[in-house]
Amino acid sequence: MEDGDSKGKIVKEAFPSEIVCIIGDILAGIVLSVIILPFKSFLLLILIIPALLSLRGNLSSPYIARTSRDFIIGEFNFSSLIQNVFATYSLAMITGLIIGFFSFILNLILLKSNLIPWISLIFIPIISISLTLSISIPFSTLLNYIAFKNGLDPNNIVNPIMTAIDDFLTVICFFLTLLLLGVP
Amino acid sequence: MEYFKKIFKESLIVVILSSIIGLINGSFLSENDDILYSFPIILLLLPSLNSLIGNISTILTSRLTSHLYIGIIPPKIQKTNRLIQDFYGLLITLLLSMFALIIIGYSIGIISGIKIVNPFLIISLIIMTILCLFGIMFLFLFISSIFLFKLGKDPNNYLIPITTSLLDFLTPLFLIVFIQIFI
Repeated sequence: MEDGDSKGKIVKEAFPSEIVCIIGDILAGIVLSVIILPFKSFLLLILIIPALLSLRGNLSSPYIARTSRDFIIGEFNFSSLIQNVFATYSLAMITGLIIGFFSFILNLILLKSNLIPWISLIFIPIISISLTLSISIPFSTLLNYIAFKNGLDPNNIVNPIMTAIDDFLTVICFFLTLLLLGVP
Repeated sequence: MEYFKKIFKESLIVVILSSIIGLINGSFLSENDDILYSFPIILLLLPSLNSLIGNISTILTSRLTSHLYIGIIPPKIQKTNRLIQDFYGLLITLLLSMFALIIIGYSIGIISGIKIVNPFLIISLIIMTILCLFGIMFLFLFISSIFLFKLGKDPNNYLIPITTSLLDFLTPLFLIVFIQIFI
């Protein structure tokens, strides 16, 4: 199968999904450059954002891949879904706490800013990633189900679409968290 | 709860490590805030630049892994027709996507009123950054895939999380270093 892949076939298959990703990520970039940049505490916020985007990528992409696999091999059921969701949230909480803690330490060492109280700094990643996953998980599960029921391979469809949506969701939820916690 | 335990155990370290790399990346951006304030278009384009080079590297890793398992590419560091096809296929995809990204990004930047400074130089530096990273990643992923495959490991499981996190750090690093050199 792959032996016959010419460079033209690679371009034809990969380019459309790249365009979807680019558009979603540019929307994320707009939120960053238009909404987050004017915050007084921007220097502290830009410390957290790349970690949150990485965390999102390493949580939701494997979640989508596991759900796709469960559908394909016929092992998708209520128990597997609950355990998958529970594991994803548990990882998010633990890593969110670690990001918050390290942001606090890095602020003490590098920035020495007192614009954000330490407790808010620790809660920003936890609340932000929880909000993101609360929208992303049901949406990607539904998308997986629809792709599978329509005879498509969820692996090829769901991940590129969700990468674009999730990066945008991450910065929007980050912004909502800042409003919720009254971050200047 | 076997499934839960398996997911948790296999993912925890990778997720924590990638978040720590993300924090290092954040510290680097925070230390170079003057560049972000002077060229806000970089902040607009950065998430898509990271995704673009990350996605191309992920496609390359999964293709190399498949070729090695099927036997299309021998587990030796040598030039093959398949490898050349993959290189040019991904390079053309990268170039087309990068031009689309620059056109869409700058158009949206202008519409949303973002300050556009020295666009031709910034575009040249973006192209230079992406091409340098593509060259480095192609060599790194090709050699690492063969090395891991020879050790009996699945290159997908190791190289995809590592390169994604590494590129999230290297893309802004290269771009900011080039800006500091040329501007």
